[in-house]
Amino acid sequence: MEELALSYRTVTITAVAAAAALAFAPAAGAVTYPPPTKPKGQTGKPKGPHRTLHVCKSKNKVKQKKCFPRITDAVRKANAGDTIKVAHGTYKEAVSIVGAKKRYLRLIGDPKNPEKVKLEGSNKKANGVLVNGADEVTINGFSAKHYKANGFFVTNVKGYTLTNLRASLVGVYGLYAFNSIGGKMTKSIASYTSDSGFYVGQTPPQTKPVRTIIKDVESFGSVLGYSGTNSRYVTITDSKFYNNGAGIVPNSLDTEKYAPNENNVITRNEVFWNNFNYYEGAPFKRGSTSTDGVPFPIGVGILLFGGRNNEVTGNKVYGNYLVGIAGIQAITLAQADAKDLVGNSVTGNEFGLGGADPNGRDLFYDGSGSSNCFQTDGKLFPADGSTFAPCPFTGTNAFNASAQGEVVNWALDPSHEAAWIKGPHVSKPGITPLERYTGGVK
Amino acid sequence: MSQDPLDRFDPTLPRRRFLQAGAAGAFLCTIGGTDVLVSKRGDAVKADAAAAKVKRPKSAEPTEQQTYVTPEPQPGGRKVEYWIQARTVNWSVVPTKRDDWHGMPVPGKSTFKAAVYQLMSPGFAAPLAAPAIPGPTLYAEVGDTLVVHFRNNLKDLKQAVTMHPHGVKYNPEYDGVYIGDYTRAGGFIEPGEEFTYTWECVPESVGAWPYHDHGPNHTLNTFRGMFGSVIVREKDVKGPDVEHVIFFHQLQPPVTGLTRSYQCINGRAYAGNTPTLRAKVGDDVALHCIGMDNNFHDFHIHGHRWKDGSGGFTDNPSVGPNETTTARFVEDNPGRWLYHCHVFAHQDGGMAGWYLVE
Repeated sequence: MEELALSYRTVTITAVAAAAALAFAPAAGAVTYPPPTKPKGQTGKPKGPHRTLHVCKSKNKVKQKKCFPRITDAVRKANAGDTIKVAHGTYKEAVSIVGAKKRYLRLIGDPKNPEKVKLEGSNKKANGVLVNGADEVTINGFSAKHYKANGFFVTNVKGYTLTNLRASLVGVYGLYAFNSIGGKMTKSIASYTSDSGFYVGQTPPQTKPVRTIIKDVESFGSVLGYSGTNSRYVTITDSKFYNNGAGIVPNSLDTEKYAPNENNVITRNEVFWNNFNYYEGAPFKRGSTSTDGVPFPIGVGILLFGGRNNEVTGNKVYGNYLVGIAGIQAITLAQADAKDLVGNSVTGNEFGLGGADPNGRDLFYDGSGSSNCFQTDGKLFPADGSTFAPCPFTGTNAFNASAQGEVVNWALDPSHEAAWIKGPHVSKPGITPLERYTGGVK
Repeated sequence: MSQDPLDRFDPTLPRRRFLQAGAAGAFLCTIGGTDVLVSKRGDAVKADAAAAKVKRPKSAEPTEQQTYVTPEPQPGGRKVEYWIQARTVNWSVVPTKRDDWHGMPVPGKSTFKAAVYQLMSPGFAAPLAAPAIPGPTLYAEVGDTLVVHFRNNLKDLKQAVTMHPHGVKYNPEYDGVYIGDYTRAGGFIEPGEEFTYTWECVPESVGAWPYHDHGPNHTLNTFRGMFGSVIVREKDVKGPDVEHVIFFHQLQPPVTGLTRSYQCINGRAYAGNTPTLRAKVGDDVALHCIGMDNNFHDFHIHGHRWKDGSGGFTDNPSVGPNETTTARFVEDNPGRWLYHCHVFAHQDGGMAGWYLVE
């Protein structure tokens, strides 16, 4: 029996490794992404005078003369630093803003009513808006739906502002930044995406980093609320992550450059009810995680999948049936010196709303790596607390292979729910716990 | 680098420029190899323009190519982390428009654009304190490392700045000084960038020390508010019951653009605006006074006396630029007391405040 168990564990770790790689994979296979280049940021702020171009869907001929019918047409005509104002309406486009000649472009819909300026992908187009190699572009006040890849995608840039955006029912990520330096995602909502609502990946290492800020956003109904493969210098704050399979997941994978993830700060967020078992049905087309047959664990609030010097502090974490905050070695990573958790701290988080909305377990840590420290005021796994070093801590942590193996086995459970410890939820106006999809999202 | 404008033997200054520099609050900045005379209202713009042109230095050789190991805390020590950003703020020097000592109004505009250090929460998620002169006081013990995540958030002053500490130990990477082609990573933090300084608190670090900008435009930036303090204690030794750091400094028209000079304590002038210090009889009191301008000051507290560094008693020690003098005593004298700089022109220009003992 014991032999069998050990053998099973070996197999399961390998399988979960594959599953994790797929779950965090940055791109859907159906679309081609621009290759990563070095974000230069050397072109500088353009000198004016700058123009304002208008886009509208009006049938009024006078108005038609004053505005472009498509956003794409306005972008083509725009110079660096110009503003494009887009009127209410539905735009069935995949907008591309490419190259230094479009830097500092401001694409403005309706910041107060983003739902009234709709980008519609009809499940045929790749991205609602793609920004590639154009620094400091602002996209403000749009909604994007039904794109095969992403709602709003920024790559190879130094600085961007994505604000007052809505992204839903897209094939990979809602708001997505890749291979970029600095940037802001604020006041936006992403929902029902087949990978993660928000994503920052492959951040180039920097001696004097420019921080990426994700603030005042909501992410729900997706496989992951936030995913950050090899992300660094990202602050996620004052935001809500709920009703996803897992809430916030910085991770380290071979699928992108610059492993591991590091120097991220997750603070002052509400991370709750991340128990969405999308395997039992979802409003989006599930990605390749489903075909592999091995799922990513469901019921996790915040998961550090490898990583260095990340700080998780001051969050409210509740109602996640598997575990509130977890830290585990990046078991899938080939780069051996980047697998372990190093120098991460988990402090000052509130668990379970005082017992009114408990997590299945509050904290899990496999004890891998060194100089990781944790608060110990919650329900711990392993329950004896042997892997948890209180803060501050310097030195080698107490690795527990058995605990790691058990958590891997949780992920392999075919029901995805066997290791859940369910508890009551508090009522929240306007939000209903999502565990099984029952239809109605379009 | 700032030369002393009152040095009559300075061979680099022709007579006319010397006389200009001798005007109230004037100083000469050397910014990225350019001399900029800041001698009258509006001249700060010239210094800022010069600072904005300073390019990021390339690494120099040969010693500058050395790499340095980031120090760890001593056994039992801690990593004490702070998140601090540089930013500007509209700062009022005399918010009450009144001198509470003399019961007199202080008319006129006293608000200017200061550059300051601001304490932030982890990840720069939110402010933990209002932007103010001085910046936050950093606390640590011997054996700790101070890990300071610093961000240049000067959106309207397009120039590199730094944090340069006194008292603590650091390798050249964490000096926080711009030295032209020899500048290390921590000596040139451009707008939007971050840098994490790691400073060691060694036994010789015990005390109160200043930190300040030491980037290309350090003199002007320090004069307009970019300074704060570091307090290092012996390990596991209880601190005083009452502790304050007070900076004596001037805010002059060439820096502020205002029409008159202010003699300040912590960015404010005149009692009722400057910090009102409070203590109770029996309290162990530590008042650290640091000079933060081109002048020498005298730190006088009415009704009190304490031992200076030589072991003799004093009630009026002198303190020079970036020097600290500490008044440490057990409070035994209740009442309303003045504290002030005893350079008469300074005390009469606003460098005075209240010390209230119950």
